[in-house]
Amino acid sequence: MRATGWLLIFVYAGLLSGGAQEGGGGSATAAILTLEQVWSVAESRNDNHTLDGIFDNALVYIKDGRLVTKGEWLSRVRLAGTQTREIVPGTARVHIFGSTAIVVGIYREIGVKDGKTFLTQWRFIDTWVNKKGSWMLVAAGASPITK
Amino acid sequence: MEHVWAQAYVTKDPKALAAVLDDAFVCVTSEGKVLTKADVLADVKTSTALQILTESMVVHLHGDTAIVSGSFRTKGIERGRPYGRRECFVDTWLYKNERWVSITTMVTFAGD
Repeated sequence: MRATGWLLIFVYAGLLSGGAQEGGGGSATAAILTLEQVWSVAESRNDNHTLDGIFDNALVYIKDGRLVTKGEWLSRVRLAGTQTREIVPGTARVHIFGSTAIVVGIYREIGVKDGKTFLTQWRFIDTWVNKKGSWMLVAAGASPITK
Repeated sequence: MEHVWAQAYVTKDPKALAAVLDDAFVCVTSEGKVLTKADVLADVKTSTALQILTESMVVHLHGDTAIVSGSFRTKGIERGRPYGRRECFVDTWLYKNERWVSITTMVTFAGD
């Protein structure tokens, strides 16, 4: 789950749920889901320090038809204004492959643009890799659900 | 293997692609749809692509995991009309049982 930085009103409420696992335990799933939450909250607060700690230096992010690096993403968060936006997490499913984890899920984005309220539902997919005991986000992306 | 993938769509041959996709493979499309391995292999059979050109490709290795990102252009014919589009992608590959298999891909339409 992700956001581009603006003020978020985050409604978590246990909506994320762990799912299928391959060669991994429930603790890894729980850790990944916690990190997804940490990520969202950190972005809501423009907390680049926390994001820097969970984003791998080689992070590749794909959104809005563009490939974005870690540095570019952190810049977007840092430069974010005060637009009000709400990110509402939906379901998420975690697949563990040893030291690699995949999260696939949906979230809704509600905000105001040019004086009009908009609602977009996004599908996301994230890849986490366990490095020296810490899960790091190495790839992520989201596409608006249009059909 | 990325080229195997592109070629499979042009030749409408899912066999080669099946060998490089993990059984748990998941694809998220530009429309936000989730496709399984079976979905993708079925999609290949009805592909309208005539040419897929890779524009850029970067590989980041993280131990047994590789992240491949880049962009490509597709030209084809759909409902009798030629089309061309540009897309960005991020793929996750896993070294598993002594071979690389793709476990996820995400593609989004990109501007020119």
